[in-house]
Amino acid sequence: MGLAIAGVYLLFAAIFWAYPFFWLAKLSVTQWRFFDEPVFTGAQNLVTSVQDPQFLQALWNVLRFLAMYVPIALGGALLVAFGLQHIGRGKAFIALCFLLSNVSSGVALSLVFTKIFSSTGPLNSLIFDWTGIRIPWTNHPTLAMLAIALVVAWKFVGYYGLILYSGLLAVPKEIYDAARLDHASPLTRLVRITLPMINPQLMMVLVFAILVSFGLFTEPFLITGGGPGDSTVTPQMMIYETAFRRLQPSHAAMMSILVSLISYLLVVLARRLFERKVVLT
Amino acid sequence: MIERLRAIVRTRSIGGWVMTLAIYALALTWLYPFAWMVAASLKPTAQIYTTGLFEGDFTLENFRFLFATADKLDRPFLQALAISAVVTLSVTASVLLSSAFIAFALARLRFPGRGLFGSFLLLQMVVPTTMFILPLFVLVKQLGLLNSLGALILPSMMSGWGIYMMSQSFRSMPEDYFDAARLDGAGLWQTVMKVVVPLNKSIIAIVALFTFTGTWDNFLWPLIVISDVERMPLSVLLATFSKQYGGYAGPVMAGAVLQTLPLVLLFVLFRRHFLQGMSLTLK
Repeated sequence: MGLAIAGVYLLFAAIFWAYPFFWLAKLSVTQWRFFDEPVFTGAQNLVTSVQDPQFLQALWNVLRFLAMYVPIALGGALLVAFGLQHIGRGKAFIALCFLLSNVSSGVALSLVFTKIFSSTGPLNSLIFDWTGIRIPWTNHPTLAMLAIALVVAWKFVGYYGLILYSGLLAVPKEIYDAARLDHASPLTRLVRITLPMINPQLMMVLVFAILVSFGLFTEPFLITGGGPGDSTVTPQMMIYETAFRRLQPSHAAMMSILVSLISYLLVVLARRLFERKVVLT
Repeated sequence: MIERLRAIVRTRSIGGWVMTLAIYALALTWLYPFAWMVAASLKPTAQIYTTGLFEGDFTLENFRFLFATADKLDRPFLQALAISAVVTLSVTASVLLSSAFIAFALARLRFPGRGLFGSFLLLQMVVPTTMFILPLFVLVKQLGLLNSLGALILPSMMSGWGIYMMSQSFRSMPEDYFDAARLDGAGLWQTVMKVVVPLNKSIIAIVALFTFTGTWDNFLWPLIVISDVERMPLSVLLATFSKQYGGYAGPVMAGAVLQTLPLVLLFVLFRRHFLQGMSLTLK
């Protein structure tokens, strides 16, 4: 009976998972334009993809995004986690305030942020009242990327914060007492005790951040449209454009394989660099 | 009363209270985009950028425009809302039902290849789904499902992630329940629906919430497979409307409110299960 139930899922996965997988592999080594017969061209798609300057720009943009997003999101998440630890009653309320952005609509909020970041929008009015300057959020390559990093961080900080908070809960209190006896400053305690002790949770957040950055589509597509001048084009947008605007699905297939591989490699690299085993002796 | 207040105040130092206030302030700031969206949806477009958050002539005109006038601009919002509802509800129902039974089989029944099946689910979760969008489009095209609700529903009817999450939870149930069910002569359907489901509400609520949110707010997939405005779900119709009629800021924000409302409601309803499912006790 168990096999029969599992079989239902295997059938589903064969149609909607294994078959597309096979098509992706086939597309990546052939030339095809949606209607004709695929023609085998070997490594040609690979060569075209890695020579496509827009594709390379999209990959570079992921790194630019990560350079802004990871510090903002990690810093914000740490603040949320420490905040939750500090609050007595009302923890659930605080957590829900920060989580609401995570479970609500990316499409709707992208449109909202387009307005908030616009030159006459509320954010610029506020900045203008204080400093007398307006920030051209979507007209400058770095600012546009920063705007997107801020929106995505706004969305995920609550979720990441809860992950870090669950790590904080597991740190034994005795360690802090011992550190206080040794007159360790709050900063020393943070860097020497807290951060190393929640390394598994920090790694989880970092890996999630990397995966989010490679899957980015809705926010840049709706807020900046990839501009100004390709500075916020993401790999997902690139794949979409290549397949459905330029009508070159074969190149897009190769690109999606490359993007997946690179994201996987980056995750492995991040774990090599930053992962520590937490050992209590 | 005042004594009790004093007692509460004394539980923290002044610095501690400043911290507490700062955290509450930050948490409320996080809700600002929602407040701005709702306020903008209730103001005439001309006042959105010129008035403060709670100022302006509040009106329901934007929503009326969305449902009545937008039809003439070839943007059937009411229909898009219905399409989103049908697609999201059928996907969520199907994922929940299939995941419950398959997860029960994986966690509780013995069958040849069970371990392999578990590994297959893990493999599926490791491979990024975004890789599949293009070949899945090819499949849907071959099946002749482009521009149909089937394109939005069929590929998401079951979820490896849902099965995995539920099976992890089902595995930790004590065997006694199943012995009792067996003694009572309960079949598969009764065991799952009467014993397993009521005892695992939190995890089921989480799978439901994430499936619902993911389907309702899916953008890239319907953008690719639906080009006919008559078949568009709300997420895509709203985006195309905003792109073409960006000047109508008020109606666009009204649409954004519609797109957000069900998700916020669901989240508020399920909040306890949600926090529990994240295996946290926030008291």
